[in-house]
Amino acid sequence: MFSLQNQLELRKVTISSLITCIYLPSIITVISYKGILYSVGNGSSCFVLALIFVAELLKSFYLNSSSDAQAKKNKANKNIAGDILRGFVFLLCVKFTFFVGIILFGAPVLDCHEETLMLSLLLTLLTVFPLLLHTGVESSLQLLFGIRNYGKNTVIEMLVNNALLTVCGAWVGAVVIPLDWNTPWQKWPIPCYLGAVGGFLLSNVLTVLKVTLMSSAQKYPILNIFVQILNGFQVSKQ
Amino acid sequence: MKEKWNFILYLVWFAYLILSAVLMFGHGFLLSRKTLSDVTECVPIDNFGCDGHENSTVKGYCNEEEKIRRIVAVPGGPLACVPKQSKVVFLLVDALRYDFTEYDESIVKPLPYQNRLPVMREMLDRWPDRTRLYRFMADPPTTTLQRVKALATGSLPTFIDASSNFAAMELQEDNIIDQVTKNGGRAVLLGDDTWSRLLPKRWLRSHAMYSFHTWDLDTVDNEVDAKIYDELRKDDWNLLVAHYLGVDHAGHRYGPNHPEMTRKLDETNARLKKVISMLPPDVLLFVVGDHGMTENDSHEWTNSNGDHGGESKAERTAAFFAYRGAGLAGTGVDVMIGKEVQQTDLAPTISAALGRPPPAPSLGHLLLPVLPEASKSHTLLHITNNLKQITQYMIRYGEESQQVSLDRLTHLINATREQLHKAASVETDDDLNNYAADVRALVDNVRTVFREVWVEFDSLSMLRALLLLLLAIFFNWLITEGIPMERLPNVFASTFVPTGLVSMAVCIGVCYTAFYFKFLEDLEHAIILSTGLISASITCVLIIMHWDGIAQRWYEGRSQFYERFARAALAASAAVLVSNSYIIEEGSTLAFLCMTVLGLMAWNIGNATALLYWIACGVAFAATRSYRGCREEQGDCWTAGAGVPTGQSSRPALVLGMGTVAAVVAICRRHVGWRGYCTVVAGLLACSHWATGYGSLGSPSRAKLLARGAWLVLAVMLALLWKREGRGATLPLMAGGLMLFVANTLVLGVSYAPAAVLALVLACLALNLVARLKSEGSTKFSLATRCNSSVACMWALLASYAFYGTGHHATLGHVRWAPAFHAGDPNYLDIGPPITASLVSLELFGTILAFGAAVPLLALWGQNGAARVGPRTQLAAVFSLCLKFMLCFAIRVFACAISATIHCRHLMIWGVFTPKLLFEAGACAAALLGTVFGATLVAWHLPTQHRSS
Repeated sequence: MFSLQNQLELRKVTISSLITCIYLPSIITVISYKGILYSVGNGSSCFVLALIFVAELLKSFYLNSSSDAQAKKNKANKNIAGDILRGFVFLLCVKFTFFVGIILFGAPVLDCHEETLMLSLLLTLLTVFPLLLHTGVESSLQLLFGIRNYGKNTVIEMLVNNALLTVCGAWVGAVVIPLDWNTPWQKWPIPCYLGAVGGFLLSNVLTVLKVTLMSSAQKYPILNIFVQILNGFQVSKQ
Repeated sequence: MKEKWNFILYLVWFAYLILSAVLMFGHGFLLSRKTLSDVTECVPIDNFGCDGHENSTVKGYCNEEEKIRRIVAVPGGPLACVPKQSKVVFLLVDALRYDFTEYDESIVKPLPYQNRLPVMREMLDRWPDRTRLYRFMADPPTTTLQRVKALATGSLPTFIDASSNFAAMELQEDNIIDQVTKNGGRAVLLGDDTWSRLLPKRWLRSHAMYSFHTWDLDTVDNEVDAKIYDELRKDDWNLLVAHYLGVDHAGHRYGPNHPEMTRKLDETNARLKKVISMLPPDVLLFVVGDHGMTENDSHEWTNSNGDHGGESKAERTAAFFAYRGAGLAGTGVDVMIGKEVQQTDLAPTISAALGRPPPAPSLGHLLLPVLPEASKSHTLLHITNNLKQITQYMIRYGEESQQVSLDRLTHLINATREQLHKAASVETDDDLNNYAADVRALVDNVRTVFREVWVEFDSLSMLRALLLLLLAIFFNWLITEGIPMERLPNVFASTFVPTGLVSMAVCIGVCYTAFYFKFLEDLEHAIILSTGLISASITCVLIIMHWDGIAQRWYEGRSQFYERFARAALAASAAVLVSNSYIIEEGSTLAFLCMTVLGLMAWNIGNATALLYWIACGVAFAATRSYRGCREEQGDCWTAGAGVPTGQSSRPALVLGMGTVAAVVAICRRHVGWRGYCTVVAGLLACSHWATGYGSLGSPSRAKLLARGAWLVLAVMLALLWKREGRGATLPLMAGGLMLFVANTLVLGVSYAPAAVLALVLACLALNLVARLKSEGSTKFSLATRCNSSVACMWALLASYAFYGTGHHATLGHVRWAPAFHAGDPNYLDIGPPITASLVSLELFGTILAFGAAVPLLALWGQNGAARVGPRTQLAAVFSLCLKFMLCFAIRVFACAISATIHCRHLMIWGVFTPKLLFEAGACAAALLGTVFGATLVAWHLPTQHRSS
């Protein structure tokens, strides 16, 4: 549940969600026009992940730009290279966890490792990577294991919500795999891949929608009903 | 504690309701037919004397014509072989619909499948006396397997052709191929391997190819093309069967309105042209479609504008094209293009062309217009042979089965005999034509009578059974989800259960009286219906009486996310049974759902131990994948040879099986008290049974003796389970589960024993997860959490998965029959058949049975289990959980029954949906039985309460 108190944070959340709503569909549209939408599972379409990586990185710069003085002070007395290294190792661990988890859920054990790897990379990029950029290794670990509560922090709430809906999207995507339609998009891991992207997108769209509704609900209280409905979609709980 | 046994009685009552409704549904839905192994024999004309009797003593000479007339004049005599023979080329173009063969020049823009076979029209125009084109009406089920059976035997195959030997796919009945080969003739097969699987070892040459790659349009056809022209040049065969699959596969993949269909039909056209040009004039060519196809292919969403009068009609109307260079018989209406003929007629016709009598089970008449011109006496002989064979079949079927009422059968038999008597009076051509028409009408009549029994569903009893299932499930769901747990003991201490049982007894009594005085026709149906309805109304009254409690509980109740998700997962696993693809892939679907439900439970617990348990579950699921195998529809996996496992296991498999079973027995024995010794002995005997029987060096007789020893120990264990100790029910329950486990590994055999071990490991992990679930608010034991329906749903999903995890699939071809013989051949005993049946069903559903027996453990297990609270509450908790678990399986069976009803004219109904219904019903029965066993064990072992609670 977002609060209207912190207008600055709210604006940042909205804008970053809006950016996602624009860049992610654009990437998907471009690659589907290029005709390589169905090869997202191959290592050759790694550049999609690279694009997402860059976009998330830029977004995080924007999100972190707020408390300049504080952050700069913090950054100044820290070893940046060490941070990056630790973050990298952390991401690798998370990717491996996703990889194993996907296989436990039913992906082929002995073959299709490339495809599974691409899916786990995407999941890592969409779920943990933004969180890591925003909070750092220790805090994201704490958040993941539920040790720390994110309280009233709107940005983190949005990020956690994004992550959960992404995983849900990938889960739902698996539903179409057993069907015998024999379409090219039923090949492992395309439905899950697209499902994850769809879940991430949906989460961002919902964020934008909710912030818009909440601000206009100040004028027209009737809109609060819709806000309540949208809160129902909020997967993350405090 | 007088309610103790009322709980158990209620569970039995519920099990009866569900199973009886399923039985009733089965009676309406499962069409079955008895296969007879009779073979039609014919006696060569030379063996007949001049008076028309076989081996007659009357000497003298007479010409063939006279002799045949005499033979015909003896209606009770044996069948006589017709001396004239011709060769037959039988081209089966799978799914050749009749309108594919039409040619209409006036169509300006032909659809992809129209006007693609001009060769047929050309031939019909040029040589009307050499060519015939008919509509070839198939009977449902219009699947290729059943159609090939129908074409070969001339009968109406149903889904279950009950025969003496279930195991083999091999055709048990008399058929045209057998008729040909018996006479020293030879048959050659090209194409679809359905033929070679149905009729192995009968072919002179057989080039059969795997036929389930529905996406491959060309391989089989090219292979047939490469061989067929050489075969046509050869002279050593009498019957050439070539089965082309391309058109059918194009229809499955793209639908009829697609350029690919055009391509395949053009290929067929070229092929036909070439075959006709190569054909010697005296060889008969039959080009036949085994079934049609629907207008719209549902998978591809193609919008077609062709209108063909109903889906089922389009599927049933195939084409029949006949050609013979030297001309065919028949005149007038008989040769009209597009006349409807039945597929059952083909088998007697082909065997007549080959000079053989019709196959024994055939119910068709001869298609004289597609046979070569024959003399009057030969034609008459053909017709009387046909009549005699049908009479014989009706007599034999009446002896073996009561499906057709005796009155009607007698009536038909008398009619055919009368017709046979008339044969002698046929003199002129007109007489013959009239006689043939009479016989045709009579045979059609016979066919209709049998069709009613074999092809048409009894929709009334199907719908009634669905209603009964729905009522039972709905009211019991209200009882278990609605009535508060505190009230349960009081409800069951009241006169509720006795009233119900007494009223059921009254119902049965009334029904029986009515049956005795002939007011009722069908006793079983009436009893099931009346008891089902009366139980529904009694439970309904109970619900109404406790409505305040139910309303309050639902008002207060708030469930957590994982609980809602577990219920949704069970509902989803039942709902997807409507789709054939999910049924085919059900193993993976269930594993996926189980993993998610367990994962959410672990998330709810939220500590490292739970995470570890969950990962262990995942690993166990992944390990069972190697035992899952695959079914025919899963093309790639099937052709890779991972399908039906071979009988003999490898040495590593032996070591693995023995090792895992020994390890499980060794670990578990410490936890079940003194009963553990029995387990150890049984496990050791099982292991030594495998080791002794392994390989060529083993001694089968000793192995069988050891297996019998193991069963004896298991029986002793079962008896010892009922020894009261007064230490609660947990230990006996675990011992009972272990006993079922060892029995299960015994029947599964060494190669699948590790799969049973994995199922056991999964069950233990899930039990531990459930025992750690956080209850709302307090750390104290909470009945509401442990007896939640989500736990039962999770357990039911796991149990359903265990069926697949132990290497089974819901197809009849996957039933393994070896377990019936692992302890010796039970057929030598008086009680052989029940032993075989129970061993095979234990092999199939043993894990589900064990899961059912372990349901009470879900409530009792662990540190904070229900074992601490008073026996009354404990029993109520166990009862509630058991009923929920049973409900889960009832819901799945209900979904299967619904989907079978919806899809009763679906293409895959006999291949996918019906086997699933059968196996799900079996699984449900096993689960119900197991649960009742477990609950009884708990009730028996609970200490009687002294102080009032």
